[in-house]
Amino acid sequence: MKRLEQLKNSGNKAFVAYIMAGDGGLGRLKEQVQYLQGAGVTAIEIGIPFSDPVADGPTIEAAGNRALKHGVTLQKVLEEMKSWTFQVEIPLLIMTYLNPVLKFGVERFASECSKAGVSAVIIPDLPYEHKELVQPHTDKEGIKLIQLVTLTTTDVRLADILSGAEGFVYAVTVKGITGSRDEMSEDVKAFMRKVREKSPVPVYAGFGISKSSHVDMLRDDVDGFIVGSAIVEAFNDNRIQEIEPLINAVTATHSV
Amino acid sequence: MTKVKICGLKEEQHVKAAERADAIGFVFAPSKRQVTIEQATELAKHIPVDTDKIGVFVNASLEEIEDAIARVPLTMVQLHGDEPDELVGAIQVPVIQAFSIRRKEDTDQLKKSIADYVLVDAPGTDYRGGSGKVFDWSLLDGADIDPSRLIVAGGLKPENVHAAITQTTPYMVDVSSGVETDGRKDTAKIQEFIKQVKDDSMEQTIEKVGFFGKYGGQFVPETLMKAVKELEDAYNEVKEDPEFQKEYHHYLSEYVGREQPLTFAQRMTESLGGPKIYLKREDLNHTGAHKVNNAIGQALLAMRMGKRKIVAETGAGQHGVATATICALFDLECVIFMGEEDIKRQQLNVFRMKLLGARVESVTKGSATLKDAVNEALRYWVSNVEDTHYLIGSALGPHPFPTMVRDFQSVIGDETKRQILEKEGRLPDAILACVGGGSNAIGMFYPFIKDKDVQLIGVEAAGQGVDTDRHAATLTKGTEGVLHGAMMKLLQDDAGQVQEAHSISAGLDYPGIGPEHAYLADIGRVEYRSITDKEALDAVISMSRLEGIIPALESAHAIAEAEKQAKTMTADQILVICVSGRGDKDMATYAEKLEGLS
Ligand SMILES: Cc1ncc(COP(=O)(O)O)c(C=O)c1O
Repeated sequence: MKRLEQLKNSGNKAFVAYIMAGDGGLGRLKEQVQYLQGAGVTAIEIGIPFSDPVADGPTIEAAGNRALKHGVTLQKVLEEMKSWTFQVEIPLLIMTYLNPVLKFGVERFASECSKAGVSAVIIPDLPYEHKELVQPHTDKEGIKLIQLVTLTTTDVRLADILSGAEGFVYAVTVKGITGSRDEMSEDVKAFMRKVREKSPVPVYAGFGISKSSHVDMLRDDVDGFIVGSAIVEAFNDNRIQEIEPLINAVTATHSV
Repeated sequence: MTKVKICGLKEEQHVKAAERADAIGFVFAPSKRQVTIEQATELAKHIPVDTDKIGVFVNASLEEIEDAIARVPLTMVQLHGDEPDELVGAIQVPVIQAFSIRRKEDTDQLKKSIADYVLVDAPGTDYRGGSGKVFDWSLLDGADIDPSRLIVAGGLKPENVHAAITQTTPYMVDVSSGVETDGRKDTAKIQEFIKQVKDDSMEQTIEKVGFFGKYGGQFVPETLMKAVKELEDAYNEVKEDPEFQKEYHHYLSEYVGREQPLTFAQRMTESLGGPKIYLKREDLNHTGAHKVNNAIGQALLAMRMGKRKIVAETGAGQHGVATATICALFDLECVIFMGEEDIKRQQLNVFRMKLLGARVESVTKGSATLKDAVNEALRYWVSNVEDTHYLIGSALGPHPFPTMVRDFQSVIGDETKRQILEKEGRLPDAILACVGGGSNAIGMFYPFIKDKDVQLIGVEAAGQGVDTDRHAATLTKGTEGVLHGAMMKLLQDDAGQVQEAHSISAGLDYPGIGPEHAYLADIGRVEYRSITDKEALDAVISMSRLEGIIPALESAHAIAEAEKQAKTMTADQILVICVSGRGDKDMATYAEKLEGLS
């Protein structure tokens, strides 16, 4: 995760890709990771399917349901990752709801993640208040617990969350759930600027990023972008090449 | 809850520090804590009106005592001398008579006292009126003192008051030297003492942090945290606000038609040949079930918060109808999410909601039942959080919902308690209620939680049987997990995926259970049993024919279990069933399932 810090200092933007593990069968995970790594993304978030993904919109929920139909579980995903022999050159993250982690065992989750080469985890229904449930275990394994901040996060809370932030901060661009959107509201820019001013770690914008116009709008106010639904959809429709321009739009060195 | 008296106050700052106490004591007898009537009158101005002001006397005359009562004014009198019964009887306000207890035999005096309350203290050394020595509470063991007139004093301090309460369960605890430093009252100690007593009780500690034991919490996406915290603050405010409570009770009586009768079920009692059976008639509420109690409370709260849009989920449609009704009444915009399966099962309720002006959104995802409707309602709330209140329909969800819904439903148990005391002069031996998410049950049980002799039984849906994979018996079969914002008990697989629940009754068809129920199950205060679809249907028939009351399918689960429970009880016992709703909404199911009934 140090690399994210270096990238920030170099002025280049990060592109974090989200994929749903096991969408189309667990066998596809490896090729998807290899593809994205080859396409130049900065990091990959591997989503674990869950029966009740309340923070997600229809695209990711549907992908999760497809994965569940293939019998995908947290354990199987971690086993699969442990079996990889190709060179993983970018940070891999796990994004999962809390319940599968609790069922798996938090301590075991942290140590298995470590063995699977996971650098950070994101748990969208584990708010800052309850992070003690997980963080002591991830800390022990040197895995970062990524915090989310949103447009509705109050200033006092924001300060608290940022003071303990590690890895990067996931700044949610919408008042809502994941999924592609046409418009980004104007107050998002000001919000990103505020977060970035106070954050000790890079700030990445996520939820709803699907077009280069979104990237253009926010590029000066964030350190990177997280793209989920657009990638999930593209993989499902077998047209992932169409995402490459978006990746390039983010990662290309801008000399302004 | 045990009351607190802070005694021997002489300074205004200490009176103010004791703001949360239930009683303040002024010592008029010779003592280093003595005050004059004039001083007490001044200090009394800083005491909240509902706090008792108690004057402490040693062998004073009736005139002196009456003078103090009138001038301070005092609401109670505490006597520490050898006052004769004539004097005790002549005092117009409630009297506390204090006794020094040295040996077990001394406890006889307590029983003989004609005072309203008896105070026990350790024997004084230098002067009368409390010594500060630690009183040996075990002397009260087996003394057969009515705890509701017992006040414990003698060496109490913040560190030991908890133990004293546990051991003696008194009406009130009294402290003086235990909240002093170098012979003078100490603000921090006064506050700490009150906190130890007040916040010690189960529910208070819980509300502080939003947990019931390990269950509860606020496991929601960050976008919702602000709304959840705001709701928490707003609810804490209205809970204490008499105006709000008045408004809420106004609508309960004028609109819902409360209070509802506690009907003696004579024919059912005779037919089962066991205990006297009473029915709490939530079926008589406007809209046909208990759900409306909560809908009114939350809608009033939403309006206080300036929110005029409501989103809700519904299973059986009862909560959806209640919410749509209240939204019509208060002119609020209303969106209801309902599983496609449930829409099919409860067509009449769907039409009712529409007729009332609500938008009903069909949820086709997952099992297309209540769980998925909650997911969609939560997503809708995440996206519209600034102007929308999520009016959750059961004792579920992130804190403060489980506590708030419980409080709004506690009117069921509060009324029942009052009614059974009026009718029978005592509390019932057993109370049964069905549990889906758990709102009617917790509302019925909560006022009885501390009455340890009242057996509380929650009844879940066993669907086609708890040993099949088609049931909704969350507490019988579930394991710990997080769903819909709270740690609770869940039906889930080995990978932590939440499983579908199954019940003929849409209102019980939920794979989780409210966090407070999970806790009450763990500590064994409430027992949870389960009833199959078939048993529930049989109970629908028996209740309809014996009492002329066609119950909701949900309520029929409680009735069916009550029939079993009654067989283990005797004629001198009392059993209460919460009839959470009426069967109108289930008529299509009854017509289909009970076809050929003769
Ligand atoms: C009549 C009736 N009883 C009981 C329930 C179950 O809910 P809870 O457990 O919250 O009381 C419902 C839910 O729809 C209901 O309609």
